[in-house]
Amino acid sequence: MKLSFTLNHKALTLETDPDRRVIDLLREDLCLTGTKEACGEGECGACTIRVNKELRLACLMIAAQIEGCFIETIEGLAGPDQALHPVQEAFVQAGAVQCGFCTPGMVMAVTDLLETIPNPDDTRIRKALSGNLCRCTGYQKIMDAARLAAKKENKCLP
Amino acid sequence: MNLISKTSPSVGASQARPDALNKVMGHEKFAADYYGPRHLWAGAKRAGIPHGRLISVSTEAAAQVPGVKKILTYTDVKGSNRQGVIQKDQPVLVDDRIRHCGDALALVIAETSQALEAALALISFEYEALPGIFTVAEALKDGAPLIHPAHPGGNCLLSGQLVSGKGLEAFEECDAVVEYAVDLPRQEHAYLETECGEAVYEKGELSIVVSTQTPFRDRAETAQAIGISPEKLRIIAPYCGGGFGGKDGITVQSLLGLAAMACPDIPVKMMWSREESFLSSPKRHAASIHYRLGAKQNGVFHALEVRADFDTGPYDHLGGAVLGLALEHAGGPYRIPHAAIQGRAVYTNNTIGGAFRGFGVPQVAAAMEQAVDLMAEKLSLAPLDIRMKNAVQKGDKIPSGTTLKTSTGIRECLARLKAHPLYQEADAWKKKAPAHMLRGTGMACALHGMGYGPFVPDTAIAKLELTKQGRFRIYFGVVDMGQGNGVTFLQMAGDLLNQNYENLELVLPDTGLTLPCGSASASRSTYTFGNALIQAVETMKIRLTQKAADSLMVGDGDEFCFIPGHLRHLPTGREFPLAQLAALLSQEERITISRYRAPASKETVTKDTALQMHGIPHTVFSYTAHLAHVEIDTLTGGITVCNYAAVTDCGRLINPDLYRQQMQGGIAQGLGYALYEDFITDKGRLLTANLSTYIIPGALDIPPMALSSVDLQENTGPFGMKGVGEICIDPVLPAVANAVADACGGGRCRQWPLTCERMLEILTIPVCPPGADMNRSLI
Amino acid sequence: MPAVTLPRTLDELLDLKAQGHAILAGGTDLFVHMRNKKIQPRTLVCLDQLKDKGLREVADTGDEICIGAAATHTQLIQNPLVQQHFPVLIQALNTLGSPQIRNMGTLGGNIMTASPAGDSLPPLYVLDAQVELAGKKGSRRMPLSRFITGPGSTGLNPEEILYRVRIPKQPSYDLHHFEKVGHRKSLSIAILSMAALIGLTGDKKIRAVRLAWGSLGKTIVTSPETEKLLMGTPMDDPAGFILAAARIREEVSPISDVRAGAGYRRQVAGNLVLRLCQGPLKQDPLKQGPGAV
Repeated sequence: MKLSFTLNHKALTLETDPDRRVIDLLREDLCLTGTKEACGEGECGACTIRVNKELRLACLMIAAQIEGCFIETIEGLAGPDQALHPVQEAFVQAGAVQCGFCTPGMVMAVTDLLETIPNPDDTRIRKALSGNLCRCTGYQKIMDAARLAAKKENKCLP
Repeated sequence: MNLISKTSPSVGASQARPDALNKVMGHEKFAADYYGPRHLWAGAKRAGIPHGRLISVSTEAAAQVPGVKKILTYTDVKGSNRQGVIQKDQPVLVDDRIRHCGDALALVIAETSQALEAALALISFEYEALPGIFTVAEALKDGAPLIHPAHPGGNCLLSGQLVSGKGLEAFEECDAVVEYAVDLPRQEHAYLETECGEAVYEKGELSIVVSTQTPFRDRAETAQAIGISPEKLRIIAPYCGGGFGGKDGITVQSLLGLAAMACPDIPVKMMWSREESFLSSPKRHAASIHYRLGAKQNGVFHALEVRADFDTGPYDHLGGAVLGLALEHAGGPYRIPHAAIQGRAVYTNNTIGGAFRGFGVPQVAAAMEQAVDLMAEKLSLAPLDIRMKNAVQKGDKIPSGTTLKTSTGIRECLARLKAHPLYQEADAWKKKAPAHMLRGTGMACALHGMGYGPFVPDTAIAKLELTKQGRFRIYFGVVDMGQGNGVTFLQMAGDLLNQNYENLELVLPDTGLTLPCGSASASRSTYTFGNALIQAVETMKIRLTQKAADSLMVGDGDEFCFIPGHLRHLPTGREFPLAQLAALLSQEERITISRYRAPASKETVTKDTALQMHGIPHTVFSYTAHLAHVEIDTLTGGITVCNYAAVTDCGRLINPDLYRQQMQGGIAQGLGYALYEDFITDKGRLLTANLSTYIIPGALDIPPMALSSVDLQENTGPFGMKGVGEICIDPVLPAVANAVADACGGGRCRQWPLTCERMLEILTIPVCPPGADMNRSLI
Repeated sequence: MPAVTLPRTLDELLDLKAQGHAILAGGTDLFVHMRNKKIQPRTLVCLDQLKDKGLREVADTGDEICIGAAATHTQLIQNPLVQQHFPVLIQALNTLGSPQIRNMGTLGGNIMTASPAGDSLPPLYVLDAQVELAGKKGSRRMPLSRFITGPGSTGLNPEEILYRVRIPKQPSYDLHHFEKVGHRKSLSIAILSMAALIGLTGDKKIRAVRLAWGSLGKTIVTSPETEKLLMGTPMDDPAGFILAAARIREEVSPISDVRAGAGYRRQVAGNLVLRLCQGPLKQDPLKQGPGAV
């Protein structure tokens, strides 16, 4: 089938099987390997992307479902010249990245959180991360990164 | 790049990791991320039966699937078809015996992953079922079927005994004796990146990109297994998406090599599904452990008996080394003059028992630290005080007989923990338990020896290059699997050379580019390579300053110092750009190479050469003391760890943030081991086969952690450091166990993990009144 | 490799369903079942292009709230009508899966999967939810408790779809309560769960109560006898709760599976009732034997 959608702010049209998993479309066909597969059944969140401004799991979506959608992957967060998004900066500064495999999904989850709740408390942060598993960090520094990112993004507010 | 490039690396500072930049952008290419414009897919047919003699494999139907290129079986393997770190007893493709459900029988190479899956489903095989062995008891029974008939020990891979002082006789001299027995589960590594890689065979040379902890060892092992000369095999190890020991050994390498050689000139990719990873890769050894601890009335430990059985599964796979480390550490960081410690690693047809962070120490610490608390209760001493009374100092022996000759900071850890608010305010916190909740606090300690022991050389070769552009390029061969040794090496070199991060480069492990550095395991990668790197840097500094001196025709290299991008001649203030200096040097002169071997103990702790070869004794030890605050829901048995503190002696900290990363991650994995991760099999078949049934903790499950380092100098370590990668997980389970016992009047769990169901059973069974002898309630 | 069709109208959907095809709503159960080879559909009917209001939205009809079967859990959690009228359902949906799964999964999907562990189900049972089934020949309604017949089984005719869930407003209940016992606090299939609605007199005695348990039987378990034992009980007096807890334990025959044993489920089914009591249980928790409390 022919698919037209927006990917990281660029309009895209391509031909693919309608039942092709979105994660395979992204990683294999579009060479966007930032979105990771770690379980294939929705348990780990490593494949988290945003569809129409909502967090979803690319391993549990098929190509037919993204027709006309606004898709954001980790590769679309940074600005031109690789200027890091404040959440990405916060992850680096807070030491929230170890092996890095869960990182894209975590960054997407925190970015999504701060767009809806600019000043989340710890409980709210943990809930936002509750769909993303990490085996390296114990989540502590990812929490730190979320708090730091919230501070960065709120810097201009009174 | 702006975030970090202008920063000046400084040993001792919490500096951001440069590798984090590509990782947060999704640009870092893991082994999972190698996709060519064209590539093939390879996958293995797994046995799915625990024990059998293979008769034949039928691949004809599978070969008809459109898109299938080749299907290989053992007849296509030109090499030894055997792999293994210590003993080469594991087939790449089964040729005679199937010994566990994850054994590989056939290898399919196909154009698409759909064709691969379809073909794998059509492969069938004939076998003669053999009786399966699923417990240590079954394996050791008289007349039990032998899993490796040629193995001299029968179904016992390795057994060993360490006796010190009067051994068991000393129990007669004890005023108090406690006993504790425990069954510990397998644990799955559950790294986010499963086993994967991509290989290509072109012009007689095989190149494999793989998620691994051991590229150089892999090259040797795979080369002989599949029948290629090691010089023709290149292994490339990108940043590894989690290892923890599960990639310490061959996973996809030999299979990929076979596939690539069967289909030359096109990349072949293999990626294990989560289910295949669960089925096929090694796990932490399940163990049954029995302890007896004897003490004098004043609380001084006097005698220790340990009997430990480890289920090592079907293959050696470091099982003997795990047993060795467990036996050496069985007595914890305490003086106990009389001890009889024995153990066995036993073959079964369950999952492979292999390396997993802690490597036998979590198992023995689980039992020892609970025995210590039982003794404390018996003698009416505070758990921390009885530990302090018996804690080792430098020069003491631990109960297995090893003398501690390097920095020994357990007493400092205990003192710091005692002063911590979480310890001081524990009682007040407990009193505030909400309705239906019980609160308790508990502690545990551990020690952990780094490296490989007295005989297996723990070496690394650092290569350092001044590039033509005037930057310093560090070639390191010991994999960064998240522990951040990459940035640590940049910090060390950058600090010594006084260069900013923008002037430093890393070359990741690659048998074609870097030099052998040993495994990323055994808490030794930063210690050993760091020391080699320091040597290489010193040689480089001398060489460059002398060259500058020659070139300026001044007397002495000493007149120069390094500043970012330059050498400065101190008497004149003249600055020499490093790029300019590089231009004066030949390629050989711009490279320094230095080998370091970690100190090996000369002490004879045991005359058993097998135990010596498997690591006894170690030389440099790290120490830690942990405290857990738990809350038990008496209506559901659910346990929440509300707070956690850990004080560690891992030498001086190169980067405090990295140290905290290790501690937090290790504690989280330890909490998983204690409370969540129930790896269930039934006659060798997995009942928990994926991440929806095998539960690892999530963000809502892990407590805040208060971490502290006592910062003692380890004189043999680079900048005074020693390993922290494993010490962090070792005492977590018993800290939780002791907290639970504190909460519920002494209830203890025999079968771990402590799920809500097991906790509720403990709560509903009456506990022996305090002062009663022997066993507490054990579930 | 299944074919995929994307109907744009309800009629098109009903035509496709009449041909026996599988429906793809959120996909969070469907794709997992396909991965495990539990089902291998030849065609998937994807709802993403179907804009039918009834199927997707929440509407107030006066006596009832109608929830479209294709409404996602996140939509419902954020919906003011659901928040106002059915806090017990909101509580349950907040424990379902993960944020990502809640964005994708649908109420209809949770019902059609008909797992005894389905998080939305105990609340829907205590709320007396009805399902509205639509087919080419028309629609019909029935109580959810009759619609689900067993694990993975419903009374849906092959040519029908689950169109809406209709829940009567519940002004007479003062307290809405849901508890889920899982192995971890998120991404967790319920080992056991319980939904409760309680209506109180002026002096805080129970005058109305509904209870429903998940993961306790082949379908959601309800127990009029247990509810009877709570009638008239003051909220802070444990006696009635203790009797009720004992009663539900007697009635049920839970299963043992990889997540927990039958004995645990039985014991905790009663304990979750004890949680409702707002006063101390007046018992040493360590002295509770199995079935003793």
